[in-house]
Amino acid sequence: MNQAAPPNSAENPWPVRAVSTRVADYIDKLGRVWVEGEIAQLTMRPSVAFIALRDPAADMSLSVVCARDLVLNAPVALTEGVRVVMYGKPNFHTGRGTFSLRVTEIRAVGVGELLARIERLRRLLDAEGLFDPRLKRPIPFLPNVIGLITGRASAAERDVMTVTRNRWPAARFAVRHTAVQGPSTVPQIVESLRSLDADPAVDVIVIARGGGDVEALLPFSDETLCREIVKCTTPVVSAVGHEPDNPLCDLVADLRAATPTDAAKRIVPDAAAERALVADQRRRSARALRNWVSREQHVIAQLRSRPVLADPLAALAARGEEVHRARTAARRDIARLIAAESDRVGHLSARLTTLGPAATLARGYAVVQTVPATGSAAVLRSVHDAPAGTRLRIRVADGAITTVSEGSDEAH
Amino acid sequence: MKPISQFGYEEARDELIDVVRQLEQGGLDLDASLKLWERGEELTKRCEEHLAGAREKVEQTLAAKDDDEA
Repeated sequence: MNQAAPPNSAENPWPVRAVSTRVADYIDKLGRVWVEGEIAQLTMRPSVAFIALRDPAADMSLSVVCARDLVLNAPVALTEGVRVVMYGKPNFHTGRGTFSLRVTEIRAVGVGELLARIERLRRLLDAEGLFDPRLKRPIPFLPNVIGLITGRASAAERDVMTVTRNRWPAARFAVRHTAVQGPSTVPQIVESLRSLDADPAVDVIVIARGGGDVEALLPFSDETLCREIVKCTTPVVSAVGHEPDNPLCDLVADLRAATPTDAAKRIVPDAAAERALVADQRRRSARALRNWVSREQHVIAQLRSRPVLADPLAALAARGEEVHRARTAARRDIARLIAAESDRVGHLSARLTTLGPAATLARGYAVVQTVPATGSAAVLRSVHDAPAGTRLRIRVADGAITTVSEGSDEAH
Repeated sequence: MKPISQFGYEEARDELIDVVRQLEQGGLDLDASLKLWERGEELTKRCEEHLAGAREKVEQTLAAKDDDEA
């Protein structure tokens, strides 16, 4: 720009062409660049194509112009939401005063490259501990209101709501419809997440989307979205159906459901199944109790059939017999003892009779003894021994009498 | 000295045995023999009383038991 022009001022303004030429020259010096973004809009013209290329995370975009053939021959079908890498030259169109990127090469962001990027982000989030199981909030057994983020009139929405209501008819939903692919997906989901998380009635938030290829599910591996999910205080269920390369929101969510239907099964209990379970428990407990009773009855019956209980008198009868025998023996023994002693005394008595004067006395003889005031009695052998007044004892067969002597017969 | 009426059976019987033994041995004068013999008679009577009492007690007891069992 070595033009010998006077300094630019209000008195000396540059003509449009001069400004445009200078801007065009400046931009022309930028050279060629590789740029990556999402196709936000695509307009085909007879010879050229206009593309709005948008940054996936920020609200910024670039106008792209390229040959129509370049779009038609692109390695992937270029539609809105597709992420691409373009090689082009920034260009200022002096005719309309617009900026655009004149693209000469379009490459799809390779699936491998996408996966590698997701993997890098996964490692980063993992290193930060965002997948830590200890961060997982428990899913309520029966949520008050279920926050549902999904595409408008999508199969995912229908699946979640139908299955949930089949299981728990009283389930309540707060539904937020968002884009589920394309550039506005992340900001819309993030905004819905924030509003549902702020609602105290919402006990669980489900992000549901049917399956799709890696590119379609790219927003669900978005770093901003993942961090937002971690920030939520409400438990978040990720129901973005895709195996085996599950999007990262599955890993940061508190619960990962394989499909929207699976999510519905995990967030509410199955009323019918619960009722069946309760009924089964009742049946089993009743049966257990009945079994217990019959078992105890059996035990009691067995106990009662034991001899001691079946015939409680048997033991007594045995004891009774024993006592009876003992009594008989005792009676016999005492009778024998008394008889023996009687015998013995009888013998002694007989001998005593033999030895004593009993037989003589029985014939009418008597033994007369003097009974002195002092000293022992003595047999009277002489009349001289019994003067009148002498006390005498006369022993006869059956006893003795005492009398007083009246003196000798000779004295009379 | 304890009167014979208060003697227990064994006491009376043992003395009776002793009396009979003394009389059998002999050697006693008539007075002593007579005295011993009379004591023996009394002891015999005491023994018989005891035995009669025992027999009666057994019979009574058995009769009472039989009544109970009837």
